[in-house]
Amino acid sequence: MFFLTYLRRELRRRMRQSVVIALGLALGIGLVITVIAASSGVKKAQSAVLSSLYGVGTNVTVTKKPHPLGNGSKNQITVGPPGLGGRGSGGGARICNNGNCHTLNGGKIDNLTSMAYTPISQASVSSVAGLPDVAAAAGGLILTDTQATIPSQAHPSAAAPSSFTVDGVDLGHLGLGPLSNGKIRSGRGLASGDAASDVAVVDSNYAIANKLDTGSTITIGKKDFKVVGIVKQPQGTGAPDVYIPLARAQALATTKPFGSTHLKDKVNTIYVTAASAADISTVQREISGLLPGTTVTTASSLANQVTGSLSSTAKLANELGKWLSVLVLIAAFAVASLLTVAAVSRRVREFGTLKALGWRGRRLVGQVMGESITTGLIGGAIGVGLGFAGAALITKIAPKLSATVNEATGQHFFGAGPGGGVSAVPGGPTGPHAVSVPLTAQVSLAAIIVAVALAVAGGLLAGSFGGWRIVRLRPAVALATVE
Amino acid sequence: MYTLSGVAKNYQKSGRVVPALRGVDLVIDDGEWLAVQGRTGHGKTTLLQMLGGLDRPSAGTVDFDGQNLAAMRESQLTRVRATKIGFIFQTFNLIPTLSAAENVEAALVPLRVPTGRRRDQAAAALESVGLADRARHLPSELSGGQQQRVAIARALVKQPRVLLADEPTGNLDEDTRDEIIALLETLWRERGLTLVLVTHDSPVARRAQRVAVMSKGMLTLRSPSPS
Repeated sequence: MFFLTYLRRELRRRMRQSVVIALGLALGIGLVITVIAASSGVKKAQSAVLSSLYGVGTNVTVTKKPHPLGNGSKNQITVGPPGLGGRGSGGGARICNNGNCHTLNGGKIDNLTSMAYTPISQASVSSVAGLPDVAAAAGGLILTDTQATIPSQAHPSAAAPSSFTVDGVDLGHLGLGPLSNGKIRSGRGLASGDAASDVAVVDSNYAIANKLDTGSTITIGKKDFKVVGIVKQPQGTGAPDVYIPLARAQALATTKPFGSTHLKDKVNTIYVTAASAADISTVQREISGLLPGTTVTTASSLANQVTGSLSSTAKLANELGKWLSVLVLIAAFAVASLLTVAAVSRRVREFGTLKALGWRGRRLVGQVMGESITTGLIGGAIGVGLGFAGAALITKIAPKLSATVNEATGQHFFGAGPGGGVSAVPGGPTGPHAVSVPLTAQVSLAAIIVAVALAVAGGLLAGSFGGWRIVRLRPAVALATVE
Repeated sequence: MYTLSGVAKNYQKSGRVVPALRGVDLVIDDGEWLAVQGRTGHGKTTLLQMLGGLDRPSAGTVDFDGQNLAAMRESQLTRVRATKIGFIFQTFNLIPTLSAAENVEAALVPLRVPTGRRRDQAAAALESVGLADRARHLPSELSGGQQQRVAIARALVKQPRVLLADEPTGNLDEDTRDEIIALLETLWRERGLTLVLVTHDSPVARRAQRVAVMSKGMLTLRSPSPS
């Protein structure tokens, strides 16, 4: 085909100029792809942080803040060696409940409590599920199991107290909530038939740390649960340690340590999936109206609460990266356009000759456009390569990003107690939750499509300037041009 | 073939009007060979551009085959150039990146001749100018005379009715000049072309049927003087 032969020969003749244009575009496009990849990596990291807390398919979560407690109504356990247990303990442990304190001497403490949030009626889950823009809703219980061996006069040394997080999973909606984010590594997950069974799925990190495996037994709320599966959650995302059926969690958990009020027909978190992404804010409004006094959090508002280097990197990628890419692209497009116009000016006599031979202006414009777009596409291809290289470099050299979520998550809430002991105080779970996530910049198909579009746009823009020059060219003047 | 009536062409230069043609009247018969002579800057090339529809007169009419080129739309002029008029230039004006055959093919591109036929016609045109064995050579690999032969093949491949040559031997040595003029004469005779040839060269002009002399934009006709 004559068009292609002419195009190929012309590009070869102006090899150096074509290479300069292509490299300029490649640089801009490569930068755009790298920024898109980095930005998508940051979003993925944010998503990993958020989905580990609330599950993959969850758009909205509903919680209720714990009631503020005055000094007199403070619950506190202090465990430590004799003499260090606290004021007037004289022995193993001192328990204060609403200001009434007494000492424990010997024995084990195992409390499964919901101190992070105030319980919500399980009927609310059905109400939320019935809202017009809600696709699904599931209740969950985020609990903390606190275990300690109380020192006695006979055995004065205190065993280190321990705690772990327990998630009561709604077996009717396994696609919602933190467990949905994990991958079963051994055994099986929870199933709808497990509602009344003392079975548990354990997070792989917790399982390794506590030498648990499928078939092991774990004590939760003084009950022995059989570990039926090990689940792997994304690294460093602070997911719960143990998952048990919601009904069992409701039966065993109490509202506060040593409390007697169980959580039958209660949940403390509702995970909601909106009918569509566009409905999320509507759903948020509807739930706030339906359940006054609750905290309705969307994934995006939660993302806004993420701070730390993850947040800074997101801002860097979205703002500085975006504008830097735009500037480089503008510069590349300008250089490509100027060089194309210069090339057309050098070929005025050639185009005049072709006009004399009867070539239409639009055919000549098409020829120049073809050359420009080909150069742009070559630049785009190199740019995609540079983008892949940039993304790989970011993945290789980027340090792990830290993310701090200033939101109650029901995670560990034990701090160091006096004398090396550990104390549990309500209110602890609402503190910041920090995780470390790796930044993986991956070039997506969408980024490549953007690159091709930019390459074509760059070529079209440069070709348009050249074409404009050709259209205005009068053959008599062109032929009189001295080269 | 051509009837020019009162053709004038003025150029603007530094705010001044510079007349290139002043009321040129000329009739060129079908199949005639007209040589145009004159000093540099006296309007020879401008006249040729009017005849080729490459430029429009400031005044007057350029009647070609019953159509006034001066009043045609650009697209119509392009069509006339593509089908009926062949051009030969002093500096050959070959596309440097295309081979001899491809340069010849370039004249058939606007006519949308299918690729196979285009190649055959280009090969035949090159053969008619004695360059069949140079078809794949680039212009830079050809001598001046060979390049002008390629240009002649390009002008004639579409079988035009008119051949307009602007100093076609101006860049050639004497021997090559004679070869090219002999070739043009042969093609003119064989094909019944109308040939308008601008030249400084009196020996070349003498071979034409008529000679037009341009002086200060005005044209006078005379018969060629015997050599």
